[in-house]
Amino acid sequence: MKEYDAIVIGGGPAGMSAASVLGDHVKTLILDENDALGGQLVKQTHKFFGDHAHYASKRGFEIAKELTDEIYKKPVDISTASTVIGIYPQNTVAYVKDGREELVRYKKLLIATGAMERQLPFINSDLPGVYGAGAIQTLMNQYGIFPGKRFLIIGSGNIGLILAYQLAQTGAEVRMIVEALDKVGGYEVHANKVKRLGIPILLKHTIVKAMGDESVQGVVIAEVDDKFGVIPGTEKEIVVDTICVSVGLIPLTELAEQAKCKIEYIPELGGYVPVRDERMHTTNSDVFVAGDLSSIEEATTAIIEGKLAAMQIVKDLTKTDLGKEISDELKTLDIFRSGPKSFKIRKGLEKMGIKVPEIEVPKLFQTPIENAKSKLHAVIECTEEIPCNSCESSCKFDAIKVGENINTPPIFDPSKCTGCAVCVTACPGLAIFMEKLDESPNATIGIPYEFLPLPKFNEKMWGMDKEGNYVCDLTVKRVVKNPNKTNIVYVELPKEFVDDVRHVRYPKKESPFVCRCEEVTLDQIEKIIDSGITDFEEIKRMTRITMGPCGGKNCKMITLGIISRKTGIPISKLSHGTSRPPVKPTEFSAFLRGDEK
Amino acid sequence: MIDRASVVVVGGGIVGSAIAFNLLKMGMKNVCVIERSYVSSGSTGRCAGGIRQQWSSSMNVKLAMRSVKLFEQFEKEVGMNIEYYQGGYLLLAYTDSESDDFVKNVKMQKSQGLDVDILTKHEIKEKFPFINVEGVKLGSWCKSDGHANPQIANIAYAIAIRKMGGEFITHTTVTGIDVQNGQIVGVQTDNGYIHTNTVIDAAGFESPKIGEMVGITIPVYGERHQILVTEAVNHFLDPLVINFNHNYYVRQTRHGSLIMGQGDVNPAPGEDIGNTIEFLEEMSEKMVRDFPIIKNVHIVRQWSGAYDMSPDAQPIIDESKSVSRFIYATGFSGHGFMLAPAVGEAVAEMIIYGRTVTTDISNLKMDRFAIGIEREHNVV
Repeated sequence: MKEYDAIVIGGGPAGMSAASVLGDHVKTLILDENDALGGQLVKQTHKFFGDHAHYASKRGFEIAKELTDEIYKKPVDISTASTVIGIYPQNTVAYVKDGREELVRYKKLLIATGAMERQLPFINSDLPGVYGAGAIQTLMNQYGIFPGKRFLIIGSGNIGLILAYQLAQTGAEVRMIVEALDKVGGYEVHANKVKRLGIPILLKHTIVKAMGDESVQGVVIAEVDDKFGVIPGTEKEIVVDTICVSVGLIPLTELAEQAKCKIEYIPELGGYVPVRDERMHTTNSDVFVAGDLSSIEEATTAIIEGKLAAMQIVKDLTKTDLGKEISDELKTLDIFRSGPKSFKIRKGLEKMGIKVPEIEVPKLFQTPIENAKSKLHAVIECTEEIPCNSCESSCKFDAIKVGENINTPPIFDPSKCTGCAVCVTACPGLAIFMEKLDESPNATIGIPYEFLPLPKFNEKMWGMDKEGNYVCDLTVKRVVKNPNKTNIVYVELPKEFVDDVRHVRYPKKESPFVCRCEEVTLDQIEKIIDSGITDFEEIKRMTRITMGPCGGKNCKMITLGIISRKTGIPISKLSHGTSRPPVKPTEFSAFLRGDEK
Repeated sequence: MIDRASVVVVGGGIVGSAIAFNLLKMGMKNVCVIERSYVSSGSTGRCAGGIRQQWSSSMNVKLAMRSVKLFEQFEKEVGMNIEYYQGGYLLLAYTDSESDDFVKNVKMQKSQGLDVDILTKHEIKEKFPFINVEGVKLGSWCKSDGHANPQIANIAYAIAIRKMGGEFITHTTVTGIDVQNGQIVGVQTDNGYIHTNTVIDAAGFESPKIGEMVGITIPVYGERHQILVTEAVNHFLDPLVINFNHNYYVRQTRHGSLIMGQGDVNPAPGEDIGNTIEFLEEMSEKMVRDFPIIKNVHIVRQWSGAYDMSPDAQPIIDESKSVSRFIYATGFSGHGFMLAPAVGEAVAEMIIYGRTVTTDISNLKMDRFAIGIEREHNVV
């Protein structure tokens, strides 16, 4: 039986980074059940957060390739298409390759088997057309197969949000994301990316059942109360052909259990997880864990954990002094976990006896420099404390500061910005835009764009706001292609909308809704204007625009913009109607006095 | 802007528009309407849009019946769907004297050929189960009454006037009228001068100001009335309901929203088109009591408009005795929209033929105030 100093099970981010370190020092085997290394990274087409030492701004499949290339350069035995079926006494790993059982022995074992998708019980969840989010990513991003045309996504964690974005990139229709909690689970910037495409995120909602005979033809969703119970009477039917369940991951602990590692239930870390110390050592002195198996987190922390476990294994086996390297990695991990989004992980690790220091994220304030506005400059819309400093690293002119704690939201100094827009392409959250606002009536904005086909010079497009609503027509002035596929589309638009437009799209055949309350389309308004009615008040009365329950909060400016564009009269010269009480729709019952209230 | 017109209509609300439209329809050229703001900016755009024929004087019934005929043809004739809906009008009586009036009025209205009936409390409950009929004695019900969207009707007239070759000038204020030897020679505006020998004062509650320009006193004043609209709900309310006793009217638009209003106890003058919170409180109290179904419906907007009140709450339509071809159509007292098509026709006939042909409106002349007046009772 072949014997290795170290065997790594699982070729995902944790396993690969570990094998890479191990290969430099000890005789190493890495086993993976897929045909190629990479784990879940191979189907991730989005850019990763983090710092540049940890692949920030790179796309998942690119990271997989880099890590794989690195391992193949090292003296590591790699066995793909190898399914580990059990851990047996005398440090024996049994796996099946090419239909045959193989046995190998280890001195030290690193289990990095990752996690599987959590399922959600609902009526008819066995219908064809119900998928896990990861399954759809595999079909779509690895094999180029589209499982459907109209999607409903359950769960607004990062995976659900990313999947919605990727589906939209393929041209599929994502009807909505439903989230049982009262806030979005994933990063704000990921949510914003999705929202500006017009994909609504319905909070406090869940799926009740899937509908259809042979396959999914629709879904019933409903509002939930604070205890996640369905509120009767709030059920709604939505026509979709595919349901993506993205409600979290479960650590794959079977092999760790068989290796006699102690397993504990720590929901903050994902459920049952192997007990381990801060250097990834389990209760079995020969067994380590890393990655999602040990706690459901980002790929970046998995990579660091893999490295950390590997260093400890090397230290144990060879007595090499890696004390400094290990403490550096530990520090990095602490920083990645110090942000507010990681509070659950910190709590979970604490239950295991691992103290993660909660590092206060410094609050920085910037004073806006008005005179810098007239030149082309960046606009950074990243306010959430997440571990990422790719903008700071990308800026060659020191205009963006994040500082030592990479959870700090960036601070921008417009006076140092040269308008190079490198940060726009680097930002994994697509949360940086370019803007130029001078004396002319039109403004220029640059928008990160990851859709095909790329717009061309002088093409007319629609400007969409943060919620994906139509704002105004605009003209493409420049398209900057980037090797990393985050291209920048510069557009010219009336300066009133410079803070509103955050996405551009090709005009649809159907006219966009300008007013969603009253379902008034751009086309209807333009027709009225073309018939000679150009007064806002008269257009309002003809179309009901701004007369709905929201009182025109969204559509008033847009309508004025349309009038201005069609008549040539600047918005500032147009009448804009009268605000009338109540500012928010109010029930009659609110005004009742007396006992019957 | 044009500098010459055969007729200048001052006021582009529903009355002025209807007059201009009918003048053009009868073949007159160079008709000009001057509106100081946008189309439907005044009382027309602020009104509830009810169209009823149940009045207490026979001439009013006739004029209203003619108006309904014209509303029925409006889409074909003027060229736009104005959400006209003949869901009827239901008037509710709560006292014996009110009931007596209703019975008397219905008898008179029937004699004019109107299909109108008295409903018992039981019949009302049966027909409109969502109304709380507590205290109701009886109702008066005319199913050919109805309502329409006054704003769109006003704009429809304006578009039609322009299409027929007329001038509809907005955002222009009349600042003076030149008269020489009892004859009109022209109209001054803040956008230029228009030569004309005929002026129609259709300026609503501001009509006395136009009258003053030619030295005529018009006994009309503005009175503020408040109104509110709700979110759209499924259609349940066919008729416009008037409750004089509880002092309100309510109708459901084709769009689904409920429009309702009252006459305030101490109404503000017409110039003051503000809103009060008391209005919402008073309306909520009585509307939820009489229509419990709407308790949780949302109020979306409140606003107010001016009634152009005349001393007897009836219109004043006449030609000046002292200034030739100065004609006024005003004092509609909250009922201008529903009467406008018939009034437009009648006034156009006065100008072209020198007398009304289709409908007799001699009871609406100014000299009635000298003789002594009978007030129209059926007013909210």
